[in-house]
Amino acid sequence: MKNTTLAFLFVSPALLFLLAVLGWPLVQAVILSFQDVGVIGSEGHFVGLSNYAAVLGGGGFWYAFSRSIVWVLGNAVVQTALALVTALILNQKFPGVQIARTWVILTWIVPTVVVVIIWRWLLSTSGGMINPLLIQAGIVERPVGFFAGRDSAMASLILINSWRWFPFTALMMLAGLTRIPGDLYEAARIDGAGTWQRFRRITWPLLQPTLMVLGVVGTLLSFNVFDVIWLLTAGGPSGGTQTLPVLIYETAFKGYRLSEAATISVLTSILLMGFAFLTTRAMTATEASR
Amino acid sequence: MSKTGKGPGKGDKIVKLTRLFTAAGFAALLLSGTAYADPVKLTLWHMEQPPHRVQRMQELLDEFNKGHPDIEVRQEPQSWGEVYAKAPAAFAAGNGPDLLFTIPDFTTVLKKIDAVVPVDDLAKDLDAKHGFVPATIAPYKYDDHVWAIPAYNMAISLWYRNSALKNAGIEVPKTWSEWQAAAEKLGGDGRYGIGLPANKQLYTDQTVYSLMVNSGAADIYKDDGSIDFDKPETVKAYDFYSKLAKLSPADNASWTWGEAEACFASNTCGMILQFSVINTYDTQAEGDAADLGVAAVPHDDGQKESATISYSNAIMLTTKDKAKQDAAKVFLAWLLEPANYGRFLTMEPGLFLPVTNDGAKADSFWSDKVVTKYKPQIETMIANSQNGKLFGFTTGKVFPSIGAISAQNLIAETLQHIVVDGQSAADAVKAGQAKMADIAKK
Repeated sequence: MKNTTLAFLFVSPALLFLLAVLGWPLVQAVILSFQDVGVIGSEGHFVGLSNYAAVLGGGGFWYAFSRSIVWVLGNAVVQTALALVTALILNQKFPGVQIARTWVILTWIVPTVVVVIIWRWLLSTSGGMINPLLIQAGIVERPVGFFAGRDSAMASLILINSWRWFPFTALMMLAGLTRIPGDLYEAARIDGAGTWQRFRRITWPLLQPTLMVLGVVGTLLSFNVFDVIWLLTAGGPSGGTQTLPVLIYETAFKGYRLSEAATISVLTSILLMGFAFLTTRAMTATEASR
Repeated sequence: MSKTGKGPGKGDKIVKLTRLFTAAGFAALLLSGTAYADPVKLTLWHMEQPPHRVQRMQELLDEFNKGHPDIEVRQEPQSWGEVYAKAPAAFAAGNGPDLLFTIPDFTTVLKKIDAVVPVDDLAKDLDAKHGFVPATIAPYKYDDHVWAIPAYNMAISLWYRNSALKNAGIEVPKTWSEWQAAAEKLGGDGRYGIGLPANKQLYTDQTVYSLMVNSGAADIYKDDGSIDFDKPETVKAYDFYSKLAKLSPADNASWTWGEAEACFASNTCGMILQFSVINTYDTQAEGDAADLGVAAVPHDDGQKESATISYSNAIMLTTKDKAKQDAAKVFLAWLLEPANYGRFLTMEPGLFLPVTNDGAKADSFWSDKVVTKYKPQIETMIANSQNGKLFGFTTGKVFPSIGAISAQNLIAETLQHIVVDGQSAADAVKAGQAKMADIAKK
């Protein structure tokens, strides 16, 4: 038996499992998107491309897509900034650094529901901690409704989600930082390079491969976040935080338009696969040019 | 051995075969006897998740199961947030419950996928025996059948503290102008005059509709099934609600029932609209029964009397198995017996109101410690519930689109266009009408 055949035989159970739990639902979603199924369990009929025409022609999909872009970019910027600063600090040698490296991961391991409850209490106008602090500090005159406006709700969600996820990103960056040879910094120091120059000429360029990978994985993960958004704002107020995953859920399980939700899912998958394909190609090209 | 000693003869074979068949017959009888002795197992899904409610339900089930060895009812608590998606999926997978708690719009969703069994005869028998409050069974009577057995009623009322009103020198508001004046007077010194939600969620649907029924905008459908949402009475209700919302805490756009109750319990909100605050007030606030005030939701100055939103919660039969259906009917009849029913209602004392005439008088209900303590409040709640209405179930005809309209919280969404996006009430209601009409068309 050839090695290739043997290898396929070994991986075939895993492949079959993946096909069953990923491939089959995906195929079902595509089939569903060409039908007119409403409530789960009801009969559907073939309707061709009419769901795609309705979704792409309506404003709901594009609005949710735009909110998703804001969500992904917001998370990328905030998380990268927080994670980079944290990773740079944790890469230094100081007493207690090992404890700090362990401690920093705490927010990431807290379950989502707990995160939501904590932040809902903190930000509440009746009994929350944040509003009295802001008033005492003279920043605001009266309690602020953090989830009362479209933009403030989105900003609050981005900060909360980033607070939860940045330790994970920080640890990834820290792993990247530890791979940068120390003698490069030593040589730069001897040549008279300051802290900023060492960061700009050594740290930042050599961290690029890690950042690229984090960019792709982070975008895909952020794009699909549903739990925090749903539990805190349910897509509101007035659709201000209605990203595509929220729209899919609402369409399927609140609007009882399962086929339309499947159509949005298929379109979202295509968008994400396109993004992953393009960025992977770009990364490969960058690696090749080095 | 045969008598000849040459092995088994023909006679022996017959004897052996006879014995074999007799033994098999006995075995079959024993097996069938065992099968007969096995109780009919019923799975009950309800959405009363708080641990004390689950515990009370389990006590009742244990008692029922003990008294009915041929039936075994098992509870599986669910959440209202998930059951709209979970139940249809469970039925589609052939794994649904046999009995399922419901509210009127949820029934329309499950009826659409043929998951609900009519309970006409049982409803007739129970009505004859206990006397259903008409408003509680009406939302489940359509298409020539009764689709669920009412279990408990919930109606929104206005909650306040008597001392707060007295200190502010105001009477209990009866009309909208009095209500607004009261909310303005009660506010200040870190307290909000009123706490009304503006979230795109069921609680906001309920509070907004509580105002709609008090401005003459109770019907959202016409008799022919077309949407009747955009009318001056609706606009008036939204306009007034948005004024009160401005006097509410700034984070009300993310409120559900819990936040409103917490706001009232902490005395941060002077008044709230809620089904009941008794439990929170009793356990987390002063617990002074004499100071807790409850009244009908004030009405528009042009209206003569107050109405409210009321939710008749019911239990659907969702099994096609005849034996299970019969067992379920025995259980439902047992539950509504006054001796048991009061203990069922007091799984959350002061929240669940009786749906039967004899249940409203049952000792098992009124003898509860909390019910006894807050008796005047509960009597007022029951009186308020008598004039209860529910959107989509007011004209005597029920249209399937109400399921999606309710599930998508379009009444609350319309409010958000006013309080979040700054639209006028007229424009928001017009947009709401268009969206509802679009859903009704599908």
